[in-house]
Amino acid sequence: MAEKFKLNDHERETLIFNRRMIVAGVVVLLLLSGLAAWMVYLQVYRYEYFAARSDGNRLHSQYVPPNRGLILDRNGVLLAANRPIFNLTVVRETAANLDVSLDLLRSVINLSDDDIEQYRTRQSRRAVPHTSVPLRYQLTEEEIAEVAVNQHMLPGFAVEAQLVRHYPFADMSAHAIGYVSEINKDELEAMSPEQAANYRGTHQIGKTGVEKTYEDMLHGQVGYETVEKNNRGQVMRVLDRTDPVPGRDIVLHMDSRLQAAAERALGDQRGAVVAIDPATGGVLAMVSKPGYDPNLFVTGISRAQLSELNRSGHTPLFNRATASRVPGSTIKPFIGLAGLYNKVITPETVIGDPGYFRLSGRSRPYYDWTWWVDKSGHGPIDLQRAIYQSCNTYFYQLAVDLGIDRIHDYLLTFGFGQNLAIDIPEASVGIVPSEAWKRENRNEPWYAGETPYEGIGNGIFQATTLQMASAAAAIANHGVLKQPRMLRGTIGNDGEITDVIFEDTAASRQLLPSQEQIELVRNAMVDVVNKPYDPEHRRHEGSAYPVLRESGRPLEYPMAGKSGTAQVVEFQVDSAGNRDNTEVDEKFRTHAMFIAFDASEKSRIAVAVFVENGGGGGSVAFPVARAVLDAYLLPEQPQYPEVSTLASADDGHAH
Amino acid sequence: MATRTPSRPLGNSFYQLSTGRGEIWQSLRIDPPLVLSLFCLAVYGLMVLFSASGENVADVQRQAAAIVVAFFVMIAVAQLEVDFFRRGAPLMFLGGLVVLGVVLAIGSEVNGAKAWLDLPGLPSFQPSELEKFLVPMMLAWYMSTRSLPPKFRDLIVCAVIILIPAALILLQNDTGTALMVIMSGVFTVLLAGLSWKIVVAGGVALMAASPAWYIFLAQPHQKNRILTFFDPYRDPTGAGYNIIQSQIAIGSGGVQGKGWLNGAQSQLDFIPESNTDFILAVLAEEFGLLGVLFLIFLYLLVLARGFYIAFTAQDTFSRLLAGSIVLTFFFYAFVNMAMVSGLMPVVGLPLPLVSKGGTSIVTLLIGFGILMSIQTHKRVLPR
Repeated sequence: MAEKFKLNDHERETLIFNRRMIVAGVVVLLLLSGLAAWMVYLQVYRYEYFAARSDGNRLHSQYVPPNRGLILDRNGVLLAANRPIFNLTVVRETAANLDVSLDLLRSVINLSDDDIEQYRTRQSRRAVPHTSVPLRYQLTEEEIAEVAVNQHMLPGFAVEAQLVRHYPFADMSAHAIGYVSEINKDELEAMSPEQAANYRGTHQIGKTGVEKTYEDMLHGQVGYETVEKNNRGQVMRVLDRTDPVPGRDIVLHMDSRLQAAAERALGDQRGAVVAIDPATGGVLAMVSKPGYDPNLFVTGISRAQLSELNRSGHTPLFNRATASRVPGSTIKPFIGLAGLYNKVITPETVIGDPGYFRLSGRSRPYYDWTWWVDKSGHGPIDLQRAIYQSCNTYFYQLAVDLGIDRIHDYLLTFGFGQNLAIDIPEASVGIVPSEAWKRENRNEPWYAGETPYEGIGNGIFQATTLQMASAAAAIANHGVLKQPRMLRGTIGNDGEITDVIFEDTAASRQLLPSQEQIELVRNAMVDVVNKPYDPEHRRHEGSAYPVLRESGRPLEYPMAGKSGTAQVVEFQVDSAGNRDNTEVDEKFRTHAMFIAFDASEKSRIAVAVFVENGGGGGSVAFPVARAVLDAYLLPEQPQYPEVSTLASADDGHAH
Repeated sequence: MATRTPSRPLGNSFYQLSTGRGEIWQSLRIDPPLVLSLFCLAVYGLMVLFSASGENVADVQRQAAAIVVAFFVMIAVAQLEVDFFRRGAPLMFLGGLVVLGVVLAIGSEVNGAKAWLDLPGLPSFQPSELEKFLVPMMLAWYMSTRSLPPKFRDLIVCAVIILIPAALILLQNDTGTALMVIMSGVFTVLLAGLSWKIVVAGGVALMAASPAWYIFLAQPHQKNRILTFFDPYRDPTGAGYNIIQSQIAIGSGGVQGKGWLNGAQSQLDFIPESNTDFILAVLAEEFGLLGVLFLIFLYLLVLARGFYIAFTAQDTFSRLLAGSIVLTFFFYAFVNMAMVSGLMPVVGLPLPLVSKGGTSIVTLLIGFGILMSIQTHKRVLPR
């Protein structure tokens, strides 16, 4: 029975199995056809789409920042260079788990919360997706190694070399050269679209000084390259490249030796020195003290570093060379010229100086400095002696005779009250008061009692050290003012310097006195420094001569100058005409000023010195001015400043 | 190789005569069409692997060595009589269960699955892989003692035979293999003539149960895979990354491909697991649609020969076993290709004979060894 069934079963089972196998075969064929159709869909119909996606994966257009142009001094010494640093960068889109990676990095390299915060700011203002954003600048060699070892756990992170600005002299010329620092949002938004495109690969932009003024020239033209990157963001090969055009190398009039000498001469005092070549207007030195290390700003200054800078209370970031203040007696030669030009006085005009000046019909006395010494005056005095003796009474009288508006008009032509500098846009314009000016700015009429003070530079009038140097240079240059300028020329690809010629409009606007009149003032300024004691007559020596004699070193070149002392607070004078001479707090001490120039026929240098709360112009500022002239005019070669290489190393460890 | 009287029904080539050259292969227990097509697949696979592994010669040598060993194992298995499998089926099945138990006790863990046995002196292997043959073998043996189609009682027994090893493998936390073992069992029962009503009912029940499974039983990573399947871009750099990059690779290959060793996606490491589960993406990118179709063609050759062997097998046991092995092989290949191209959620299955991995190739070829044994041990009756 079972046997028979089995035989029947066999036929039937075979049939069942075969049917099932055929069904299975059909299903297999259908499924494989479906799969093949799907592949056709993906690889034929959607080929373009996926090919583009694939290229998008691997091909990255990136911007190649141009090398920033170098800044050199007149002797070819580098004032601003570029040096390579290694940065840790992140491509956010590739960094799968940023926080985990950051935690890992924190454990292997020096990465502060400040760094991460700064990175997030940079990330938020990055314009182009899939480009790298710096996380930490200036990795040390050990840190580069640590990142390399952990690279597999840091997708999207890379160590990239970058050229950044380096200022070899650190503090020395920080204010004049300025610095570059990270581009901020406002700067980006202020750019035109073309400009913004040109900065796509650039992290830093000139913020102050020459770096800012000549940003366009120094920056260059961005390049592009198409690279193939792998999944970890490493560049496998460069497929296409448009080279960037490097920025122009520029040459300044500045002489780094003179800059260093001026800085040394100021020592620890706060103040400024500006030296100008009278023949060209070229700024040979521009120092503001205290200085700061501009290298700190290049890759972003940390809060701690910034507050460290500001802690002294001496505002090191403030450029004292281009800030205005009352000039004291350094203004007197220009008031004298105004008198001669307006024919209010002649060289022969003599007035009597009893030690004070009174406006007609008023009782209030305006004292001469001699009054504080021995309650006497200069006696009969002419312009020349009024200048070299720095007689106040003469200039009180002259100012009153001129009237404030004629003083205003004349001082304008020496560059006061405006920024004549061609390429120092941040310089203050100062104040040259007039009746109209006062009505407009203080809504008050001009009081006759104010005019005498304008004659001695202790009134409303204010000038910058730069303007004083420039005006002194005009006298040195026999009355012809050249507009001050930093830029001397650019260096072409062939290494040749091409001078940059600026159209100079200052001279044409000058109310020039005659040559005799200029020579008189020039000679009077020579007397300031050189006129020795006259045994016959009291007060016939130059006001700076005693300091020169005390120094024990006679001058080896003709030097002219004028000292000035600017009051910070008004002296208290009692009814008997006695000044309260008690020692005042340092910050209320008078500012010391000195303008000077090489008094040879072809003057090579003019200088203005300002020492904040320094005391007397003759005793404090004159030695500084002399040291600057010595450095420039004496035959022995002055030293080049020391190059700061430590700064870079310090930065690396500062994090 | 064989002459067949046209009048005889297809499955009943009982009196087949071996003649000529075929006789030599028959005596060697080798089926040339099967071996040849498998060999072509393996060579093609090595070529792709060389590119997918970043031109790593050592990887390719290791894989080639595994292939050589696997071919010898296949031929060795083919020397065994079909009767050996038939009679031994219950014992081997029980033995398999014991080994699975041992693995649970002392097995070592790889990628979260405690499925590997590290015996001293032996290469580590995955006993659960063998269940893909042991379960169909046991079912085929059981079914061959019953009359077909299986009755309800038989189905209960079949379910028990399938579910015990499947449960043990699930306990090892190896869902993928468990699924394959269940599928190999289901194929056997289907071929045995499981009523279509039950098939349809089962299908409907599965569909109905799947939301419940998704809500109550599915683990987060499983849910994630399913969500990612429906929308890879919900997490393009995380869960969806593999499938997005693999589709980009396939699609950007176009008709002709980017050329061997020139696949940008593959060579720049955009495809994860490019030398194991996702190797099809490399193949599709570098050899294009033509390469994919050629691969499907090679699989079809193997399948066609497998179908032929199953059709011409001489008894129920052989047929069911051969059919199940062939369909399981197809299932493997299809699931992998469908998942890599984005037609199915991602499950961790290699592309048979192409993906890197010696164990997978050896177990695969053990299956084909059984097929060859079935094909070459036919009883030849005199006329």
